[in-house]
Amino acid sequence: MIESDAPVTLDDSGDTVPTDWTPAALSDDIPAASAAPGQLGAHDLAIWRSASGRIAAWADRCPHRGMRLSHGFVRGERLSCIYHGWGYGEGGRCVRIPAHPELAPPEAIRVPVFSAAEASGVIWVAEDAPDSPPPEFPGLAAFRSLQVAAAPEAVAAALGGTGTVIEATLAGLSVVALIQPLRDGAAGLHLLAPEDSDPAALDALSAAVEALRRRVEAAEEAAA
Amino acid sequence: MSELGAMRDQWYPVAMTKQLTAQGRDTLLMGAPIRVFADDGGTPKVTDGAGRALPVIDRFGHVWTSLGQPEKDLFTIPEVDQPGRRLVDVGVCRVRCSPLRAVENFLDIAHFPFVHTDILGSEPHTEVERYEVEIRDDVDEVWATKVKFFQPQAAKSAEGGITTDYMYRVCAPTCSVLYKTCPPKPEEWDVIALFVQPLTETLCDVWPYMALYDDDAEMTDLIHFQQMIFVQDRSVLENQLPALLPLDPGREIPTRADMTSIAYRRWLKRHGFTYGAQLVAA
Ligand code: FES
Ligand SMILES: [Fe+2]
Repeated sequence: MIESDAPVTLDDSGDTVPTDWTPAALSDDIPAASAAPGQLGAHDLAIWRSASGRIAAWADRCPHRGMRLSHGFVRGERLSCIYHGWGYGEGGRCVRIPAHPELAPPEAIRVPVFSAAEASGVIWVAEDAPDSPPPEFPGLAAFRSLQVAAAPEAVAAALGGTGTVIEATLAGLSVVALIQPLRDGAAGLHLLAPEDSDPAALDALSAAVEALRRRVEAAEEAAA
Repeated sequence: MSELGAMRDQWYPVAMTKQLTAQGRDTLLMGAPIRVFADDGGTPKVTDGAGRALPVIDRFGHVWTSLGQPEKDLFTIPEVDQPGRRLVDVGVCRVRCSPLRAVENFLDIAHFPFVHTDILGSEPHTEVERYEVEIRDDVDEVWATKVKFFQPQAAKSAEGGITTDYMYRVCAPTCSVLYKTCPPKPEEWDVIALFVQPLTETLCDVWPYMALYDDDAEMTDLIHFQQMIFVQDRSVLENQLPALLPLDPGREIPTRADMTSIAYRRWLKRHGFTYGAQLVAA
């Protein structure tokens, strides 16, 4: 079992995995030119991918009238707010105000920006800029994400670990589970499975993780 | 009740008159449970949670009441008495937002191309030209005039794009009336009002009301058109942060296109109309 919060050893090479990144979504769940809501601690995030494929995580609030940017639309390398179409580019800077097409938006209009990076098909976010990139998991591919209505610690414990990155065996597969603390005492569970798994094994993995979720939620409810 | 401030003594819509029954409608007004019903003679009545009778006005197809003692009569909309207008009670739309945000959205044209795409606005016609805004002290209302915006389909009765003229009027903290180009009768204005019932600070029932010159459209089509527009607005209104309307500058960034909203916020603040508002971010 791999446990973390402090840097942990993950593979045979003995490399350590820094955990100052938080897993927030799977890469496949945010295709090019789309945006989705996310969380990092108390922060609401708009996680979005530009047309060319760049991932970004911004505060989920348009500085104009407070609309959630995760409802916005992506054109090219810009995220635009769905309410009045203000467009934001590099570094969260406002570059377009459609109501005033001739106006160059003031520098000061910016959306707060978080760090975002991808590794092994997982989108990781952080408040500051971590020193090292998020962990890679050779031989594993992102499989699916679930939300669990139970504390992150309880989910980790059910998988036989603690912290953010947990190696486990589920339905006979060696998997990695990434645990994300969510608001209201819930947890995100992002699962990576061996790259060469056949569909039947993945179906069994899905069933196993859903059963685990039911178990943890039932225990949490019983304890409440 | 003190947190209701000056809004306690204002009038609010609480039901559609023609939907009233003897059994009545149990609802909320600024957090207080009330019942709206028709008495034996069919007259609208409103009682509070203790069964105490509240003041009632039956006007514009809606029943109006107040938790306090309004000093002023409910505003008037002189146009509704003009012969030939069709008066349309659209019905109710519940929105999980501040009643003040619902009104502010109604005063805003810059969102048309993005929220009401290809209906009330469309790209690239996004520019909001300078218009005039004032707080009219004699009537104590916010007015925006000389507002113009390109609309691909300005109303049910409009075909093809036109530049539509608008005037906006805020006549009560949660009520606004808009006047817009009337395609079948260019010398007149169509009148569309938004009456908002504050259920709580972050929940409201919105009752749109129209007085139109439109002989052709079916009543149900007029209603459906307006409901569709409002459902589009709701998708925005339920996703603004914070939910309360910030009345102090700094939390949000307006531009010249938002002059009506700026004046509305100023007017609210001046009167202490702060139920559903946020003062000085903590
Ligand atoms: S709230 Fe985002 S552009 Fe207006
Ligand atoms: Fe709208």
